[in-house]
Amino acid sequence: MELIKAIINIYTTRGSWFLSLLIEHIRLTATAILIAGVLGLIIGILISERQKLATIVIGICNVCYTVPSIALFGLLIPFSGIGNKTAVIALSIYALMPMVRNTYAGITSIDTDIIEAARGMGSTNPQIMVRIKLPLAYGLILTGLRQMTVMTISMGGIASFVGAGGLGVAIYRGITIFNPAMTFAGGLLIALLAVVSDNLLGLLEKQYKRKRRMT
Amino acid sequence: MDKPVIVFEKVAKNYGETEVLSDFSLEVNRGEIITMVGRSGCGKTTALKLVNGLIKPDSGDVYVEGRRVADCDNTELRRNIGYVIQGVGLFPHMTVEKNIAYVPSLTHKKGFALANPRAERGRSQFSLKGLFSPPKIETAQLLSIVGLEPDLAGRYPSELSGGQRQRVGIARAIAAQPDILLMDEPFGAVDEITRRALQDELLRLHSELGFTILFVTHDISEALKLGTRIMVMESGRVIQVGTADEIINNPANDFVRELVGGN
Repeated sequence: MELIKAIINIYTTRGSWFLSLLIEHIRLTATAILIAGVLGLIIGILISERQKLATIVIGICNVCYTVPSIALFGLLIPFSGIGNKTAVIALSIYALMPMVRNTYAGITSIDTDIIEAARGMGSTNPQIMVRIKLPLAYGLILTGLRQMTVMTISMGGIASFVGAGGLGVAIYRGITIFNPAMTFAGGLLIALLAVVSDNLLGLLEKQYKRKRRMT
Repeated sequence: MDKPVIVFEKVAKNYGETEVLSDFSLEVNRGEIITMVGRSGCGKTTALKLVNGLIKPDSGDVYVEGRRVADCDNTELRRNIGYVIQGVGLFPHMTVEKNIAYVPSLTHKKGFALANPRAERGRSQFSLKGLFSPPKIETAQLLSIVGLEPDLAGRYPSELSGGQRQRVGIARAIAAQPDILLMDEPFGAVDEITRRALQDELLRLHSELGFTILFVTHDISEALKLGTRIMVMESGRVIQVGTADEIINNPANDFVRELVGGN
């Protein structure tokens, strides 16, 4: 009860500070999501055409994914220093994996009969990709994007450990000055942001399924 | 007599150690329906895919309209050959209308403004009462040609019955007004009654539009019913080519006799 009161109190007294942290958090994670989204899509498309390359690339992505996030942030400091840049790079590396994997899986799981029908009717490879493969893989790609978005938003919370902005700043400061309410208030906003983003992307998915008459 | 539309010349094809086709030769005349019949794995589908270049021969040549398939632009070639496959291969993310418009849309961004290739080649006698005449082919018209209600145009393939899907598959194959149709067990996945209806429909379409058709099937009665000539294959070799009468009355060997006898 005390804590809840303290949290409400901290939101009212330091509202504009939290708002600026929230905006910073969105900016930071959105950049990473955008980079990983575009890059992941491109890599996923490229490796879907080359089986050998796919094994290697997905292997590398998996390894990156298993490195503890805090260690990855630390590893990057010698190369990109401290601050937002390092945070965005680290977040992008993590976010890449689900994007690449889902794009690849989405494209390669398409019924080969459909691809061959398209080829047999005189589609060029780019036409097959744009008009057949990507639309059919869209559902899985969207799922990947959704997972990756939620993950990036929550992981953005530890970006302040490498001197980046965002709501992690409130969490970190709360810990160092022993103010649990501040830590909690920051964490709560991250969770809310993640839930809202998840639901927005969920709507997109629902709309897609309705269009394809899959529900 | 016209020159043959499709010519296979001593084609051989192997997959690794397995011989899929050997010494495979055939001349297909304009307007014929050649049904290729044989057990699964006898090479009939492979032979079909040689025509639109989906499979390349190891040796020998395939000619379509006098041009060597290996030498010509396969993309262009395929757009002029209708292709219907087993399970139809309709695009699940496109409506019936979009599926049918697919091939024309590959070359023309705005879909259906097609010139009439038949007229250009001076064979306008084949265009059915201006049905395929320029500048537009209507989806609705194509649907009614294959015996479907025009209001199916907005549906997705998953909302159609098996027979309807096959018909859409045929409509899609003829949308770009090809002279040649390749059909790979197109009626394999429907019930007997629907299949018979589809066969009759195909014969009607053929007599109206005069395509040259290569039709792969494992069903001898289908082969005998549809084929102007029937080609019996076994282990990558042509056993016999002939009309239904010849196949029935003068089977080339025991295999053919057994095949027909079971009918």
